[in-house]
Amino acid sequence: MTDLSQVILGSSTDPYNKAAERGWDIRDASALTSSLELEADVVIVGTGAGGGTAAETLSKAGLRVVLLEAGPLKTSSQFDMQERAAYRDLYQEGTGRGTKDGGMVILQGRSVGGSTTVNWTTSFRTPPETLKFWTEQMGVSGCSPKEMAPHFQYMEQRLNIHKWPQAPNNNNAMLQRAAEKLGYSWDTIHRNVRGCLNLGYCGLGCPVDAKQSMLATTIPEALDRKATLVHRARVVKVLRDGDVVHGVEAEALTANVRGTTGQKITVRAARTILAGGAINSPAVLLRSNVPDPYGLVGKRTFLHPTTLTMAIYEEAIDPFYGAPQSIYSDHFQWQNVDTGPIGFKLEVPPLQPAFAAGFYSTAGEEITQSMDQIRNTQCMIALLRDGFHEQSQGGAVELNDKGQPVLDYPMNDYLMEGVRRAYNVMLEMQFATGAKSARPAHKQAKHYMSWKEAKAAVADLDVVAHKATVGSAHVMGGCPMGDDPKRSVAGSDGKFHHLDRLYIMDGSLFPTSIGANPQLSIYGLVYKLAGNLAKQLQA
Amino acid sequence: MPSDRRDFLKLSVAGAAALSTMSAGATLSGCTSSGPASGMKLLRPEDVELLRAVTPAVMKGKIAPGDTAAIEQTVKSFDTLLADLSEPVVAGVHQAFDVLSFGLSRGLTTGQWSSWSKASLEDAEKALARLRDSGIGLLNAIYAAVIRLIISSWYLIPDNAATTGYPGPPRKVASPVPVVAPAAKETRP
Repeated sequence: MTDLSQVILGSSTDPYNKAAERGWDIRDASALTSSLELEADVVIVGTGAGGGTAAETLSKAGLRVVLLEAGPLKTSSQFDMQERAAYRDLYQEGTGRGTKDGGMVILQGRSVGGSTTVNWTTSFRTPPETLKFWTEQMGVSGCSPKEMAPHFQYMEQRLNIHKWPQAPNNNNAMLQRAAEKLGYSWDTIHRNVRGCLNLGYCGLGCPVDAKQSMLATTIPEALDRKATLVHRARVVKVLRDGDVVHGVEAEALTANVRGTTGQKITVRAARTILAGGAINSPAVLLRSNVPDPYGLVGKRTFLHPTTLTMAIYEEAIDPFYGAPQSIYSDHFQWQNVDTGPIGFKLEVPPLQPAFAAGFYSTAGEEITQSMDQIRNTQCMIALLRDGFHEQSQGGAVELNDKGQPVLDYPMNDYLMEGVRRAYNVMLEMQFATGAKSARPAHKQAKHYMSWKEAKAAVADLDVVAHKATVGSAHVMGGCPMGDDPKRSVAGSDGKFHHLDRLYIMDGSLFPTSIGANPQLSIYGLVYKLAGNLAKQLQA
Repeated sequence: MPSDRRDFLKLSVAGAAALSTMSAGATLSGCTSSGPASGMKLLRPEDVELLRAVTPAVMKGKIAPGDTAAIEQTVKSFDTLLADLSEPVVAGVHQAFDVLSFGLSRGLTTGQWSSWSKASLEDAEKALARLRDSGIGLLNAIYAAVIRLIISSWYLIPDNAATTGYPGPPRKVASPVPVVAPAAKETRP
């Protein structure tokens, strides 16, 4: 690709440049010198895919909305595509979030826009297999593909979600080429972009607002409709009077969002919506000591445990440039739904250097010499579809002694079999397309020179937690929805089963993982749930 | 294999328990220094000593053992990175470093019986390999965290990343200029 380091980008697209002119009510909690009290029809905790969609839907219905976000407000003017600042400012725990035993790194967004500010724009409707499983096995109503279709369609239009029309970058093209060569199914990915410059820095914040994230779309719309946004405000608990929830209490965070200032924010509201994502939403419920008669809050949290292989080619790949994800393969995804070995989706990630090096899973000359060939490196990822088989029940969100959430998610043999199988599938694909060498992300692996050598080596690898690198960029579940309170935390309408006026509207409602990148699943579901809530409140 | 796995798990749990005891022991016996080293936000003097020893092994090919400037730059970058993570992560890293830093637990886990300041490149490489190949999950976890943090610290410095041939990202300027220079435009509206 063209050397994009010669491209100069300005800040003309940033909608927040005109915040004052547009009369937006944005408060930075870190600057508070006394406590802040607000009132609203609806308070929404979190500004990601769920919170952003709910805020637009409810404010368009004429309701007064207050949005609370624990992360900072960072906008495109500040997105300079440098890795350090992006990981520090835009990710949970600065990308240091992990599972309890350290076995998985969790990449989750934490700024206004949530994970939509840093995701790679990949947009899939919830697969019909998943919706069918929820309906038939998990007791969810109103979620058939037919019932969901209009909601997905609306959000696809709203966020300009369309099949990527340009040629894939070489990183993605290699996945397509390998699938064609080996007879695997593949397709082009839909993306939520408008006027995309094909730069490749979606994960560090889109510098030109081409990505139709919540930061660039629904939140500006809600602000235009007199919503209030308070950022650097971490919600501690919901406020209750008996069985009725009437708002939330939050604490102001410092400018770097690593500490508290001591100031309190109280929002009283007729309805409270939790949309902090699938670790923080259950954490708010746990901190609030809400009734949980069946011990379900925080359980069944899913991650799409993801593993990867790296390959070095003769030809240039330049995996750091170009739309990060444009090709996928579901060839190994739906061979069965809830029986047999675990299915996985194949995609590729963008490889900015620190990110690539961090996941390479090796040290010494193996890492430095490999990284010196980053321009010729291709990376494949396999996302395991957890939560369907009886041996995949997900993890549990707990609180540590400081009330911070910790996700306990051990990788068991069932999942690890999927990791080993995925290594083989991806390595074979890489060698089939002419890789000079390839290696799985396993600490005891090395670059193998042929598929034959790789296959023999993988059979001998000790595929266990920590030795095998497994990560996650999709956190789902923990407050599963369904009609039976013995099996679910919230109803199919998103209302918390055991208290009034409290709703959950984010990916934590999913009763299983999605089996695809989850953003559009959240948009479609929350658009439906928030629309129904708006109708109720207007009635 | 199933019985091997069970044995491994038992060993892993026992090993983890023993190590956390050692780590607590190190703290209680006053082996850990509480405050950060001079010029550091979070790294303690013993953490700096450990990192100085293992960084040339982790970054072999980019940092020579005697290249003090490169080592210090990486350690400083590590300190900045740590401050950019979170309180629970910092606590975990400090615990891991406690295991690797002090007397008995350092020797048992890494084979490094004298202090890290006396470790050669070869000693550091052997220590890392021992953590990596251990049958104890906790040690594998410590290895994974230590190498990931050191490697990230080094490649997060733009000049270092450039040594790989990475041309860098487009340039972002504060003024409201439009896009300058060629970049492919999306063909669909």
